[in-house]
Amino acid sequence: MSVAQFLEGLPSYNENNFTKFHVDTNSRSPLKRPSVYIPTKDYPSEQIIVTEKTSILLKYMQQHWDKKVNSAVKKRDIPAQSEEPARKRPRTEYSRDNSRDMRSLNDF
Amino acid sequence: MAYHYVVTAHKPTAVTACVTGNFTSPSDLNLIVAKNTRLEIYLVTPEGLRPIKEVGLYGKVAVMKLFRPQRTLNSVGNHNEILEYLIIEMLWKEICHHEKKDLLFIVTMRYNAMILECISDGENLDIVTKAHGNVADRIGKPSETGILAVIDPKARVIGLRLYDGLFKIIPLDKDNYELKASNFRMEELQVHDVEFLHGCANPTLVLIHQDVNGRHVKTHEISLREKEFVKIPWRQDNVETEASIIIPVPSPLGGAIIIGQESILYHDGITSVVVAPAVIKQSTIICYAKVDPGGLRYLLGDMAGHLFMLFIEVETRNDGTEAVKDLKVEMLGEIATPECITYLDNGVLFIGSRIGDSQLVKLNTKADENSSYVTVMESFTNLAPILDMCVVDLERQGQGQLVTCSGAFKEGSLRIIRNGIGIQEHASIDLPGIKGMWALQAATGSKLDNTLVLSFVGQTRVLSLNGEEVEETDIAGFTSDQQTFYCGNVVHEQLIQITPISARLVSAQNKTLLAEWKPPTEKNISVVACNSSQVILSTGSALYYLEIHPNELILKGNTTLDVEVACLDISPLGENATTSDLVAVGLWTDISARILRLPDLSEATKELLGGEIIPRSVLMACFEGHNYLLCALGDGSMFYFSLHKDSGQLSDKKKVTLGTQPTVLRTFRSLSTTNVFACSDRPTVIYSSNHKLVFSNVNMKEVNHMCSLNAEAYPDSLALATDTSVTIGTIDEIQKLHIRTVPLQESARRIAYQEQSQTFGVVTARIDIQDSTGLNPARQSASTMAQSVTVSSSVGSLAISKSGSSSVLGTSVAPDYGQEVEIHNLLIIDQNTFEVLHSHQLMQQEYAMSLISCQLGNDPNAYFIVGTANVNPEESEPKQGRLLVFHWNDNKLTQVSEKEIKGACYSLAEFNGKLLASINSTVRLFEWTAEKELRLECSHFNNIIALFLKTKGDFILIGDLMRSMTLLQYKTMEGSFEEIARDYNPNWMTAVEILDDDIFLGAENSFNMFVCQKDSAATTDEERSQMHEVGQFHVGDMINVFRHGSLVMQNIGETSTPTRGCVLFGTVGGAIGLVTQIPQDFYEFLLDLQNKLSSVIKSVGKIEHSFWRAFHTDIKTENSEGFIDGDLIESFLDLSQDKMKEVADGLGLWSDTDNGCRLFFNLAVTSENNR
Repeated sequence: MSVAQFLEGLPSYNENNFTKFHVDTNSRSPLKRPSVYIPTKDYPSEQIIVTEKTSILLKYMQQHWDKKVNSAVKKRDIPAQSEEPARKRPRTEYSRDNSRDMRSLNDF
Repeated sequence: MAYHYVVTAHKPTAVTACVTGNFTSPSDLNLIVAKNTRLEIYLVTPEGLRPIKEVGLYGKVAVMKLFRPQRTLNSVGNHNEILEYLIIEMLWKEICHHEKKDLLFIVTMRYNAMILECISDGENLDIVTKAHGNVADRIGKPSETGILAVIDPKARVIGLRLYDGLFKIIPLDKDNYELKASNFRMEELQVHDVEFLHGCANPTLVLIHQDVNGRHVKTHEISLREKEFVKIPWRQDNVETEASIIIPVPSPLGGAIIIGQESILYHDGITSVVVAPAVIKQSTIICYAKVDPGGLRYLLGDMAGHLFMLFIEVETRNDGTEAVKDLKVEMLGEIATPECITYLDNGVLFIGSRIGDSQLVKLNTKADENSSYVTVMESFTNLAPILDMCVVDLERQGQGQLVTCSGAFKEGSLRIIRNGIGIQEHASIDLPGIKGMWALQAATGSKLDNTLVLSFVGQTRVLSLNGEEVEETDIAGFTSDQQTFYCGNVVHEQLIQITPISARLVSAQNKTLLAEWKPPTEKNISVVACNSSQVILSTGSALYYLEIHPNELILKGNTTLDVEVACLDISPLGENATTSDLVAVGLWTDISARILRLPDLSEATKELLGGEIIPRSVLMACFEGHNYLLCALGDGSMFYFSLHKDSGQLSDKKKVTLGTQPTVLRTFRSLSTTNVFACSDRPTVIYSSNHKLVFSNVNMKEVNHMCSLNAEAYPDSLALATDTSVTIGTIDEIQKLHIRTVPLQESARRIAYQEQSQTFGVVTARIDIQDSTGLNPARQSASTMAQSVTVSSSVGSLAISKSGSSSVLGTSVAPDYGQEVEIHNLLIIDQNTFEVLHSHQLMQQEYAMSLISCQLGNDPNAYFIVGTANVNPEESEPKQGRLLVFHWNDNKLTQVSEKEIKGACYSLAEFNGKLLASINSTVRLFEWTAEKELRLECSHFNNIIALFLKTKGDFILIGDLMRSMTLLQYKTMEGSFEEIARDYNPNWMTAVEILDDDIFLGAENSFNMFVCQKDSAATTDEERSQMHEVGQFHVGDMINVFRHGSLVMQNIGETSTPTRGCVLFGTVGGAIGLVTQIPQDFYEFLLDLQNKLSSVIKSVGKIEHSFWRAFHTDIKTENSEGFIDGDLIESFLDLSQDKMKEVADGLGLWSDTDNGCRLFFNLAVTSENNR
């Protein structure tokens, strides 16, 4: 396949484009610069881009926590009635969970 | 406190991104080019690119993408809703065509993201910020491969790779006010490129990443709900180690092309095709452009400026699907070193270049004689990167011009930038030997010129202008076998022609001769001046005054002067005056200018000009109500006087140099003001501004004669004659910067001007390639094509005589076969022709780091001094270098002295007749001995790397790699340096300058500028030793060089603009700016104006002006202070009348026009903003 074949049928959006192009005889004056746009009219933005402030670490821990809570709820649902749900989680359990989270952190 | 005004004189020109699409309307094909902080929007038309608008952003563009928003049906639940939705959508499309138009997505270097839409009502267009926000994270390591941004082909999400290990996703959700960008954890840390794959149900990324084993390609499917990468559809480990670009292939093929250093890979998870075409191995591919919408053809551009086409060959499988069979790569030709490429239309491409002139090129199906398929249609001047520059006043008109070291590698060049008036050429006729030229209205009822009379030695030709047609004709009453001295329309519908033989009066209607006047003696007429009713002519020293009456010329006076007449003028002075009471005469022998009264020709005044150069042209002219006598001499200089109209007295004699050749002065009117055109080898327009004469260069090489021409096809034009042709053109209303390019085809690094030898010294680097015959230049360039060439012996003479430490100098091991080696040269370039007179090549591995031209001690010679470094890849910093002293004399370059130094000489300066050099961490002062040798006098050591030196009196300012600025004082008595003060902020410097004894300007590598002040009056030593940062400002571009000087004419005594000093700067983006000091009250006034303007002028992308100009580095962000943003202030001039009033009202200056407004208008005008 020759280069000429490569270059055949190049896409055309408007077949007239560049047909009347001629090299400016005055090479000293390069293409005129476009006029400068000075906006004075205020258009309110339709949308704003907001960046999530939570770090991926916290997000990860949050997800981990949610999963844990979900599974804990399921576990509790089965034995049921036997014991009152604790109003507060025992501190020991919390610290254990915490250490597990820290371990999973090391996976990063 | 010190206050400064900073403004861009020439906007950045380096192209960093370009895109094509339908932006301004659904049917418009647009090219959008990003140049640092500016966007330029063009329309593709049959005539070529038409500029539409330039949009400034408060940020430097890091990524720019066009995308077509799509209405997804995901959020729509049931069929009824879909139906309803489709109806609404159809209606919507009827009303406005949003979906058929592209939107622009931009991320700036400071992480401001924006989505812009163009709304146009035919005439005006507005850029609407549809969405905006800052996507920076508080923590995170910015990726070394820069900011990457990609948009899903179905426009569902935008992906951003800003920090290592994180990938940010912005869902393009139409229904929410907030677009919530969220971070995904990406386990690949070093990502080289990333793209979205086409034809995937969920947005899917493909990326090239690197780990210890090499580079790999991997895909990630995104789950928007879980905010995670959910699966890896396919991966390809261990692709080429230098793979760096991904091209996603559109549907139906899908998959991606991976471009490497030597090979190109196509992969889609199933099919894998690798090719290693030989043509791409020479250099590295850095950008691509898709040609067909279907994605079978791509254009690739490499660092060496080669343009390739990549073609995907497809085969149809048994099951009817198409698959990639092969990849073909062909070289099409050479282009400017590209940064980005975009396909426009009908085989025309835009090549955006960062280090050279961007181009519009056409692809041809047939190769030309150089077997290239590429034709360059148009080039766009680019100064970037400006490595060094110098301000010189070659014409000694008091107006500087700037010569920059611009571009790099094959795009390396010198650019000569001068402020001046441009001539727009409209027509040109080849006609050599023109001695005079006049426009006439002959046999016409209108006031338009229709005839051009051209005078040659011994003949006169008449051209008639009929529309745009020009043909030769004749006027019966004129003689054509004589040279014409003057020709013109005069009173009573008559024409006059004055030749050496006679003055001929001709009817303007029937062109017949009405009267003829011959001098009473045998002598020929030698000099003539004429207005519409009066003629003054001379034959040697005899002078005759004639008046023009119907059908006759009447002699009203004559006299004989003591010496011969050289030039005459009888221009009427004042508005609407048709006759003159005075004659101006320039004389031979006694070299005088005289004013004579009419009609008796008695002498009113006589002014001896002095010297031996005779006056060649005199002119009486009235500018802004002031009368002047201008008298141009044969050497291109000109005297000008105030002329008292009634007494004829001359006063306020001044002299200016306009050119080097005899100058002819002619008046013309432009914008209903009088202007004078000085025809010479450096044509100049003289006009008046604020009651001062202004001399403005014209961008033509030489003009011998000119006349005003107001013809039907050429209204308000000028006809300008050169040695070979006549040009008809119009003249710009205002001064602009004009740029001339001197291509060197190799990187220019340093420049120094030497007045004594009328040359520039330029340090350049070219690339040589090691082959079987040794090192050979990769291409012909300035240093290889110089008129003469010398070479430093490959083994330094110093190295032989010494042992041990200097072994590096001698041991230049031959580089590997095919390896590129940088070769440094000193070029000597003529200041007028810019020819390379001589090239001196340095040793292998010896890099020229610095260059100055100076005189040393009592030695009367001017020397070029080059500071070098021996660069050894195994050393962390250069251990050795040389100071080389060269003398250019009699077209010969002699090395006068050589001094070995222990490091790289980063900077050189002349210091009280001695040589100051910064060498690695030290600053050293060398004396020039009677034996023409450099001898070390003293040193200063307290730096990391002393990169820059500036001096003033006994003071030395050092710019350090990372320890900001330090001020030293040289103690003459002790012969030692004392550290006076230091800025203790950790700034990584890119340029420094001394503004005055206490104020220092610095630029650092996070694109900021700051001013430090030393406090000599402080009470304690500790306070005195600290410089205080009193000003800081974000420029948004890296400043490489500061130079004192100005590009406008310095009018001494100009009091209207309260600025002091002027420092020009050149940037990596190709911008030229200036910094000037302003007084406190003016600063406060401008600051109010700036604050007001920043609220009246809306920011595209909604970035706050204060955020943009805040001093910002990796470690701190502090509000801008002590600087006025001249770019914002001067946009005041582009506001509509009512907005100007709104701004001015708030400041209470609208009524008080004499004060504020004018002050600031003057400032705007003098700050040479290039509009």
